[in-house]
Amino acid sequence: MKNKLILFWLIIALTLGSIYVIYKKKTSLGLDLVGGSRLLLEAQTSEAVPKITPEIMDSLQYAIENRVNAMGVGETIVQKIGTKRLLVEIPNITDTKKAKEFIGQTAQLEFKRPVTLFDGSQGWESTGLTGKDLKKALVGSTPSTGEWMVELEFNLQGAQKFSNLTKELTGKQMAIFFNGKLQSAPRVNEQISGGHAQITGGEGGFEYEEAKEMVDLLNAGALPVGAEIIQEESVGPTLGQDSINKSKIAGLVGIGAVMLFMIIYYRALGVISCLALLIYTLINFAIYKLVPVTLTLTGIAGFILSIGMAIDANILIFERTKEELRMGRSLFTAINSGFDRAFTSIFDSNVSTIMTCLILYCLGASMVKGFALTLIIGVCLSMFSAITVTKNFMHLAFGTSELKYPQLFGLKKEEIENAYKAQETKREKAKFGVLD
Amino acid sequence: MANTNLIKDKYKIDIIKYRYFWLTFTGIILIPCIVAIIYLMVTQPNHAPLKLGIDFTGGTILQYDVDKKATTGDIANIRQSLEKIGVKNPVIQTTAINGTNEENKEAVNHLLSIRTTFLGDKESAQKVEEITNTVSNSFNKTELVAVNSVGPTLGSELLKNTMAALILAFILMVVYISFRFRFEYGWIALLTLFHDAIIVLGVFAIKGIFQDTTVDSLFITAILTVIGYSINDTIVVFDRIRENMRFLAKKYSSDEIINASINQTIARSINTSLTTLFTLFALYFFGGSTIKDFVLAIIIGVIAGTYSSIFVAGVILAIVKENMEKKNKKNA
Repeated sequence: MKNKLILFWLIIALTLGSIYVIYKKKTSLGLDLVGGSRLLLEAQTSEAVPKITPEIMDSLQYAIENRVNAMGVGETIVQKIGTKRLLVEIPNITDTKKAKEFIGQTAQLEFKRPVTLFDGSQGWESTGLTGKDLKKALVGSTPSTGEWMVELEFNLQGAQKFSNLTKELTGKQMAIFFNGKLQSAPRVNEQISGGHAQITGGEGGFEYEEAKEMVDLLNAGALPVGAEIIQEESVGPTLGQDSINKSKIAGLVGIGAVMLFMIIYYRALGVISCLALLIYTLINFAIYKLVPVTLTLTGIAGFILSIGMAIDANILIFERTKEELRMGRSLFTAINSGFDRAFTSIFDSNVSTIMTCLILYCLGASMVKGFALTLIIGVCLSMFSAITVTKNFMHLAFGTSELKYPQLFGLKKEEIENAYKAQETKREKAKFGVLD
Repeated sequence: MANTNLIKDKYKIDIIKYRYFWLTFTGIILIPCIVAIIYLMVTQPNHAPLKLGIDFTGGTILQYDVDKKATTGDIANIRQSLEKIGVKNPVIQTTAINGTNEENKEAVNHLLSIRTTFLGDKESAQKVEEITNTVSNSFNKTELVAVNSVGPTLGSELLKNTMAALILAFILMVVYISFRFRFEYGWIALLTLFHDAIIVLGVFAIKGIFQDTTVDSLFITAILTVIGYSINDTIVVFDRIRENMRFLAKKYSSDEIINASINQTIARSINTSLTTLFTLFALYFFGGSTIKDFVLAIIIGVIAGTYSSIFVAGVILAIVKENMEKKNKKNA
């Protein structure tokens, strides 16, 4: 009895701890609830880069991270998926047009020298001076006309290269290419040392946005390879809020209906299972916040569904306990064997659910993952809840006393009496769990 | 020790006596499902048993929150204007949203979804804007609330993965049940799982034929959840049959034991499914509008699972055990 009381207080402490966690920590909500966009990018191989290596992925991730951060829209996430994919999560935006333009550009900056091609026409040839040699880029304006331009500052190596290049090309044209497009081809008047250069927007000049975007892209770094968007999920904040509100109502109605059913059908036992269910729900929610599990719409569905499943273990135990009572066992023995006998079914059932959820989790897609994760946590926790919490409450509530009011368990008095007759077992014997 | 008194002359449900009735009844339910599945496999160019959504075929779905339910006239107009701007074969659907609250301007009341070919890459970003402009001509309020795009290569990859996942799930279940019980229990459990899956697939095939409902990766999630969950009821029944067999096999025939076991466990089979269904129905009627079909698939699966654990698993096990007993007698 002493152990049972200690366990009881442990459960209470755990519950209070959970309430504290729920109160203190923020729930992390998925993009489909707060609104935002999820893009899956795939690195594209080209003639220059026939194979995507982990190093290329690292620098691709780094460059994309810098770019989405430059958009300034809050906590963005860029993570690698598999060997050649990147997952980009951007909160608070639905219109992904801008994001797509921003992410999709390779941002290759190249300085080229003029060359006469075989057919006599003029072309451009790479010089080895590229965006990699930049220290930083800035938006500036030309003092004479006030046009927007991009100011470049080279790093040490870049400054040296630029100096050599301008020396070589003095009196000739030098071309600046961005994303494979010719931006400007100024005439080099003299050798430029000091590591500074400007890009003017050609005849019309740059729009401010154009210059700003180029600067952001240059500062973020060029993509080592091209990246195509192969999947997009965007949800607006209105739909997200709508989903949150509806999920709350669905959760409350679901729990309410389950509790009502349990109390009507299992009476006193039902009340105990409801308490256990409440504790289960609180601990479950606290775990989400501690892990932390990012709740998505399907994740919440998994959570609500797990509530309906969590009570299953209680039902199996109660039915078994009632059966044992009908057979004439004492309350204490009936409760214990109710748990022991029901355990194999509960265990087997939960293992099968967990197995399918693990498959789902490994399958990968984010919507599916959220659902599988909450369901796995729910099912594991429900075993603990049924076996520890419900059992403890039942022992404390009924102790070793005799079953005076079978109605409390939803049983009829005659059923119990019949059992004693049928089994011809003495009450004293039954108390110790001995049956003839 | 099991209670010998539970072998009775009369049962709440005598599945053994009426076994052929239950088998026929099961067949009658399965036939339209199978017909619908085969119909789609024959008529669809990709020979899929269901109408596949963009997750598997690749494509883009744009969802708009609009201020009124689009009439067939509206939809025809939108389709025409979309085709004019070069959107080929758009599928336009209105989604009825439960708990419609016209007063509440914040709530999403009417959803209009447009399915097109893949518009995810940066070249077609412009196209989305054009479509939005076209749609907004028909309504006072048009807000783009969700965009889902899947590239065609990713689509076929997802389809392959989900198929592999389904097969893996079936195999794991059979192995686990065979390991925990006996082999005949394992393959009978597999039959009940097929039964449940066919009913869910069938209902969505029928919905696909008549309502143009497509399935996405969430649907496969639903099927896997159903497989994982509906086996629970079967396990409960098998667990009891195994327990009773151990104690009563000498005194009673397998028919009697199976009948008694099913009757002993029927209350808990139904109750466990009921509580789960309560939460599922709450999700269906009050939950988020974008997961309705997903929840519906699980609801159908849970009901089918409970039915099959009682009427399919028990009946087939009885027939199998009977044959085994006959064989044993012959050999003896």
